[in-house]
Amino acid sequence: MVGFARLSAFAALSLLAAGSALAQTKPIKVGAALDFTKVYTFLTAEYSQGQRDYVSLLNARGGINGTPVELETVDTGNEPQRGIEAYERFKNEGAVLTDFLSTPVSRAIVPRALADGMNVITAFHGRSDAADGTVFPTIFPMTPAYWSQATAIVKYIGDKEGNNLKGKKIVLVHIDSPFGKEPIPVFQKLAEQLGYAFSDIGYPSPGNEQSAQWTQVRRDRPDWVVLWGAGGGQPNSVREALRNGISPNKIVSVIWLSETDMGIVGPEQAKGISRFEGVASGKDVPVIKAIETEVIAKGKGAGDAAKVGSSYYNIGIATMALFGEGARLALEKEGAPLTPAKLKKGLESIKGFTADGLLPPVTITSEDHQGGGQGRIATWDGKAWKPDSGWYAAYQDVVWDLVKKTAADFKASGK
Amino acid sequence: MFYRLAGVYHTSYAADRTILKVSADRWQVLFLVGLALAAPLFVSRLYLSGYLLPWLIWSMAALGLNLLVGWAGQVHLGYAAVMAIGAYGTIHIVRAGVPFEAAIIAGGVLAAAIGLVFGFASLRVKGLYLAVSTLAMQYVVDWTINHVPAISGGSQATLQAPGFRFFGIPIDDDVKRYYLALFACLAVAIFLLNARRTAFGRALAAVREKDYAAAVLGVNTFYFKLMAFWVSSLLGGMAGALLAFCYYRAVTPEQFSLDVSIQLLAMAIVGGLASVIGSFLGAALVFFAPIVLNNAVGSVAGSLGVQVSGELRSHIPLILYGGLIVGFLLFEPLGLAKIWDNIRNYFLVWPFRHARHS
Repeated sequence: MVGFARLSAFAALSLLAAGSALAQTKPIKVGAALDFTKVYTFLTAEYSQGQRDYVSLLNARGGINGTPVELETVDTGNEPQRGIEAYERFKNEGAVLTDFLSTPVSRAIVPRALADGMNVITAFHGRSDAADGTVFPTIFPMTPAYWSQATAIVKYIGDKEGNNLKGKKIVLVHIDSPFGKEPIPVFQKLAEQLGYAFSDIGYPSPGNEQSAQWTQVRRDRPDWVVLWGAGGGQPNSVREALRNGISPNKIVSVIWLSETDMGIVGPEQAKGISRFEGVASGKDVPVIKAIETEVIAKGKGAGDAAKVGSSYYNIGIATMALFGEGARLALEKEGAPLTPAKLKKGLESIKGFTADGLLPPVTITSEDHQGGGQGRIATWDGKAWKPDSGWYAAYQDVVWDLVKKTAADFKASGK
Repeated sequence: MFYRLAGVYHTSYAADRTILKVSADRWQVLFLVGLALAAPLFVSRLYLSGYLLPWLIWSMAALGLNLLVGWAGQVHLGYAAVMAIGAYGTIHIVRAGVPFEAAIIAGGVLAAAIGLVFGFASLRVKGLYLAVSTLAMQYVVDWTINHVPAISGGSQATLQAPGFRFFGIPIDDDVKRYYLALFACLAVAIFLLNARRTAFGRALAAVREKDYAAAVLGVNTFYFKLMAFWVSSLLGGMAGALLAFCYYRAVTPEQFSLDVSIQLLAMAIVGGLASVIGSFLGAALVFFAPIVLNNAVGSVAGSLGVQVSGELRSHIPLILYGGLIVGFLLFEPLGLAKIWDNIRNYFLVWPFRHARHS
């Protein structure tokens, strides 16, 4: 009890101190409740480091239109109840934007956020149909949905095959979860249109054991293999694919294949493997260089400097860059103080924003929260991911048919 | 002194059989119930919907599991799956147009029916073997929900809980959801307090202590083991439905994963087996401790200005949480309920030292 009293007195004192320091301008509050400890550990540390470094950069440059940004990061352990607690607390503290980076948590948040008008980032995760801004007014994926990633991958394969996929065989090897099965309708639909043969093989979650599935893939003799998983299952998939004699040049993955995964497989052995990317990787981007000189060189980096420029770090930067742009537009148009409703309008007026080459041109409207769905395929050259082409979006009509259909189902289910 | 026993005479059988025999206990319970009823007046929405509401629902689930694990002595490692059946069942039944009051009972019965099937394992195996058999239930149910889009709700595997009315009152804000959860939780708590002193409760206790001995005494162990699974799964299914309708408002398979089953078992064991108050205390510890520790570590790290990496910062609460659970069980292996009982016994004869159990 004494300990608790001391602790609370201490907390009260520190709150007072913090309050007087920030009394001049109330910061814009962003809440990130991420999973550092359970399922999403493969990406959270780097992602969060990117987010915090970008916010440090924003603040070092005087904030957004003079208003500093405060990013609060907590752990949810991928538990919806902890995510909900964090959400309610962020809302209470006046946050204008929240981020959960976990499919189960953000799915539990969506009904609340829609009812409360709170903005939620669901970059590269969560519901694909949240792209429909009319049904999900405050849910902002702002990045290519899984369905758009699938279409981009098919387009890439088509280009490699001289735009003729007739008679080709594409096998999707996926984790046997809703996430892993999500792209199947897109591949099936495009198979009808383009005439390739499609089949899918699921391995049990979390994917530590896939040898049975890969002998089956080998028996099928596919022309192309698409990997759809995340975390520890991914390097395992690559390893099994190579072991079964599938050429790395014929393997394309969903976005979740990182430098770390390639290190596990063996950087040389994995040469030639491709993956989708919606955010440029590497340090060769002006924003990252600015972070290196203005944040990390001054000792304000949020984590291991070696991780700067990694794929997931850059995704973290991208989320905060999009938020920063939306907040800037909102403050310019609607004036301070920033509220969730103003930020929503700001985000929806983002037009052709690339964060100096980090992102494909992103244009968000009140209907399209996906931001255009542009991405590209990058290939591992033994050291880094090298983009194969410029940014593009493919077969968006197929994607939007699905988005409209499932969004309508969602709307109907809440009644 | 605080629990004055002088003047407490049981002059009739009815008085001797009351649940709370000491008036101080009665006042405490009435005070707490009054506090719970008035909570929306003085508790902010953050604490009402972020802490109290889920605590009540988790407590209700822990009570249901405690009936099986604590009262009847049958281990269950798939209780989250039971809750999932209740949640999905109720949502589908409400969407089919059935009123919520009937649907939640139907969802509970559905969970009970499926839970009973796995309960048959308890007739042949005990202890760790039963734990593994019920673990199978968790996996079978998870797999089924994940692989049948008609259950899980299509490619996004999320089902929204439809809006609903409870006896004509639309349950559409946090205060009403809180009262519904409070009502359900109190009903289950009162049921269990009463069940303890019925033939049913005593038969369960006999089965728990030694099922052969119970059979020799004339207790039909076949029937009572299955009844324990039936009742416990019914309560679990209804708790799952409340969790879906009042708290999550959208269900996905991950919300009822194996982790949740283990947390529920931890609530029952750390709280105290076969104890009603223990279920509440256990649910509070397992539910609040990670959140409170996380926030405390965060604010301490923030205010000290210590540069701790995000990863370390989020793992410190886990270490503390693990230490807390081990610590409580080392300090009092009979759970939080026993700690509470020790305190009560101390005050029973305070300022004297020797406590007599009452």
